[in-house]
Amino acid sequence: MYLLNFLIRRVLQGLVVLLIVSFAIFALLRVVPGDPARLIVGGMAPDEVVVQKAEELGLNDPIVVQYVRYLGDLARGDLGNSFFRPKSGATVGAAAYDDPSRNERAEVLDLILERIPLTLQLAGLSVVFALIISFPLGVAAGLNPGKWQDRLAFFSGSVFVSLPNFWLGIVLAQLFSIKLGILPSIGYKGFEYTILPAFVLAIGISPFIIRTLSVSIAQIMHEEFIAVAPLRGLKRPRIVVAHAIRNASIPLLNLFGIQLGILLGGVLVVELIFDYPGLGRLTINAVLQRDFPIIQGVAIFISAIFVFINIAVDLAASFIDPRLEY
Amino acid sequence: MSDVQVSQIANQPSMSLLKLTPTQRMVREAWSSVAFRAGFIVFVLLLFGALVYPEFSSVDPTKMNVRSRLIPPLFMGEGWTWAHPLGTDQLGRDLFLRCLVGLRYSVFIGCATVVLMFFVGCGLGLLSGFKGGLTDTIIMRITDAQLSIPMIILAITILGVSRPTAPAIILVLGLAGWPLYARVARSAALAEKGKEYIKGERVLGASDTRIILKFLAPAILPPIAFVAVLDVASIMIFESILGFIGLGIQPPTPTFGNIIADGRKYLINAWWIATMPGMFLLITLTGLNLMGSAMENARNRVLKGAA
Repeated sequence: MYLLNFLIRRVLQGLVVLLIVSFAIFALLRVVPGDPARLIVGGMAPDEVVVQKAEELGLNDPIVVQYVRYLGDLARGDLGNSFFRPKSGATVGAAAYDDPSRNERAEVLDLILERIPLTLQLAGLSVVFALIISFPLGVAAGLNPGKWQDRLAFFSGSVFVSLPNFWLGIVLAQLFSIKLGILPSIGYKGFEYTILPAFVLAIGISPFIIRTLSVSIAQIMHEEFIAVAPLRGLKRPRIVVAHAIRNASIPLLNLFGIQLGILLGGVLVVELIFDYPGLGRLTINAVLQRDFPIIQGVAIFISAIFVFINIAVDLAASFIDPRLEY
Repeated sequence: MSDVQVSQIANQPSMSLLKLTPTQRMVREAWSSVAFRAGFIVFVLLLFGALVYPEFSSVDPTKMNVRSRLIPPLFMGEGWTWAHPLGTDQLGRDLFLRCLVGLRYSVFIGCATVVLMFFVGCGLGLLSGFKGGLTDTIIMRITDAQLSIPMIILAITILGVSRPTAPAIILVLGLAGWPLYARVARSAALAEKGKEYIKGERVLGASDTRIILKFLAPAILPPIAFVAVLDVASIMIFESILGFIGLGIQPPTPTFGNIIADGRKYLINAWWIATMPGMFLLITLTGLNLMGSAMENARNRVLKGAA
C-alpha cells in the first residue's frame, strides 16, 4: 500500500516535471531567431511557399495553442517530424524546395528509438568501467582514512575530474587507434567501437564514485555494528563486503540518480568526438542545423529517462535498506 | 556537539580556535593540507602568468609567422626552441601564449558563471526553504525540471541560435547550473529556520526579507561558497567543450576549446597542437580541483566538529 502511494506520488511529480521541461524547451525554441517554415522549405523557396508551409504547420497560432497541440501529439506518442531528415536517410540540404525528397520527413520518435540502444550500450559500459576503476580506489581509501590509499584516491580523483573529456578522447584515439592500432575509434561497426568512448566517459564519472565510496565506507566503519561484527565471529573480508560495501551502495545509488544528467551530457560530447551514431550525435547535429522537433523530442525523452531512473533508484534503495521510507 | 567543545576547552592550544568563526576555521584547516597548498601554488602561478606574460611578451597570440610554423614543444622532436616552450601551430602562432590568453577567458567565464549560479541558486533555495508551502513546491519542481535536462543540451541549444559572446556564455551556463545550489541552500535553510534565534527574530517582528538577508544567508552561505571552487573548474571544462564544438568565444580569440578543435586537423604531423593546450588545461584544473577538494574536506571536518 505504501509502495503504491509512493509510486503514484512520484509518477505525478514526474509528470509535472516533464510538463515544465516540455514547456520550457518549447517556448525557448519559439523565441529564438529563425523561421522554422523557411528552414524546412530551404533558402531558395519563394515566399508564398514559406507562408503556405507556416500555415500548414500552424506556426501562426499563438504559442499556447501550438503547445497544447504539441502536448496532444505527445500524449499519443507522436514527437513530430524532423525538419530536415528524410525517411530514407539521405540528406536534403541542397535539394530544391519542390524536390519530392523534401516531403517525407523522418519521425523524431523513430530517430530516437533507432539510436537509443547504442547510447544505452555506451552509457552502460561506461558505468561498468567506472565501477571497475573506482571500487579498488574508493574502498581502499575508505578502509584506510589518512593513509596513502586515501591520498591516492584523493589525488587520482582530482586528476580524473580535471580531464576534459573531449581532449582525453582525442588523445586516446590518437594513441590507441592511430599509433598502436589496438582499438577502433571512429564510427560504429561492432562492439569494440564502444570501448574507447566508454572508457573516456568512465574517467569522467569515476571521481564522484571514488569520493562517495571512500567517504561513506570510512563513515560506516565507525558504526557500532561493524565494531561488534568480529565478536559475532565474522571475518574481515565478510564484514567489508556484506556490511560496509552493502551500506555504501545506497549513497552510490543516490549519486547515480543525481549524476545521471552529467553522464548523459558527457555521452553527447563523447559521441561527437568518436563519431558514434547514438543519441548525442543526433542531438548536436540537430542543434547545429536548428532541427527543432528533434531537440525538443530528445530533451523530453532524456528528462523522462531521468525521472524514471530516479524513481527506480529510490525503490532500489528501499529494497537494499528496508529502514528507508519511500 | 557539547562534548566536542568541552574537549577543546580542556585542550589548551585549541582555546584560540574557539574564538574563530567556522569560516575562519575552515580556511585554516584547508591551508594546513598539502594538497591545498600544492594546488594553490600551481593555480596561482599559472593565473599570474596568464595575467602578466601576454602583456609583456613581444609576440601577439594571434600573429601568424610562416617561418616558425609547426615547431614542436621543448625536447620533443627536431627544431624545438626555448622561444616556443609548447611549440607553435600550423600558422606559426605560439601555443604557450595562446594557452595563457585562453586561460584568462576560461577563468573569467568560470568565476563569473559560478557567482551567477551561486546567487540565483542560493537565493531561490533560501526563499524556498524559508517560505515553505506553495513557493517551495513551485521552486522545487522547477529545480527538478532543470536538473533533468543535461546542461550541455540547454547550452548548445541557446548558444547555437544566438551569438556566443562571453556574457551570453556566462548567462547560459549560470542559468543552467543553479539547481544544485538551490537544493543545498534549501536544505540548509530548512535546518536553520527551526532554530531559536530565527524564531526570536520573527517574534520581534522582523520581515522575511530581513531574516533571510541578515540571518539566514550569513549562517548558511559561507560553507556552500567554500565548495564553489570545484564548480569553477567544472565550468572551465564546459567552456572548453563549447569552444571545441564551435559555440564558445569565436576565433581569432584563442580559447582552449578552439585551439584543440583546430589542432585536431593536424594530429598526424603535429600532435602537439591539440595535445599541449589540453595538458595545460589539465594541470590548471588539477591545481584548482586539489584546492577545491581540500576545502571541501576541511569544511566537512569543521562542520562535524573535528577541527
